[in-house]
Amino acid sequence: MRVSAASAAQAADGVLGTVRVEVEEARILASLADQLQALLADALETGAERDGALGRLLPDAYRHEPELADEWRQLSRRGLVDRKIGFARTLSTALAPIAAASTATDVALTEAEALDWVRGVGDLRLVIAERMGIIVDGDEGTFAEPGLRDVYDWMAWLQDSLVRLLEESDDARRAQEAR
Amino acid sequence: MRSPVASTAPAAVAGPAAPRGDARRDTAEQTGGMLLEQPLHAADVPWQVVVWNDPVNLMSYVAWVFRRHFGLDAGTAEQRMMQVHTDGRAVLADGNREVMERHAEAMHEYGLWATVERVPR
Repeated sequence: MRVSAASAAQAADGVLGTVRVEVEEARILASLADQLQALLADALETGAERDGALGRLLPDAYRHEPELADEWRQLSRRGLVDRKIGFARTLSTALAPIAAASTATDVALTEAEALDWVRGVGDLRLVIAERMGIIVDGDEGTFAEPGLRDVYDWMAWLQDSLVRLLEESDDARRAQEAR
Repeated sequence: MRSPVASTAPAAVAGPAAPRGDARRDTAEQTGGMLLEQPLHAADVPWQVVVWNDPVNLMSYVAWVFRRHFGLDAGTAEQRMMQVHTDGRAVLADGNREVMERHAEAMHEYGLWATVERVPR
């Protein structure tokens, strides 16, 4: 996987940058994004408290006021879950064709898509961290399946690259506005 | 630890039922002795949104979210991110509860752990 800034011609079309995705990477990420959508859809049906990963994706907004926490959850949960499902769906939609292809493919990302990617990948890392038993800073994860740690670190690298892409675009916009 | 944002906030009142003391008497006198019952609405009590440390989110990501969502400059966003990292939490905004809840929801949308709480007196 490689993330690069958009060319001038792409930028004119609203493209922030491109991600070169290998077939195997697309398979892994698309599969995880599909699982995340299922997990989130399940949260709406069953309530989030049963699964530790959902607790990280959808934390309470109040720590010491259970009534306010309940009220807030009732008002916001559905919308929040729908938006998070949307982030994961953007990943799946872009990656499914690559997973079925035979060669690496460049995915061009608009700002809206990059925002979905950076948040979708972040949500996936929250879930994987919980599955690996990462509780405090510096944890290596106790229950790591072979390879899961690599996927987790790889997604950190991807997220960091996307942040830099978005930051450059934000900086360019600020410079434009200051002029 | 309280952040600079919290320390410059107006002093909090005790809660929705807090008596307003002299202010109310003054008002009553000014309106010709008519007693104006103006219990402080819950929305007026200052609240704050707190972002908590977690072992997963990248420091670069957290600082970027603070810049993007709260409109902080790069230095302030970095400082606030480091506060989350080292102190375990940082206050990012204060104001009425509804607005703080919207901030918390946005932070959850970014995958950060944020809560709303009363500004300590």
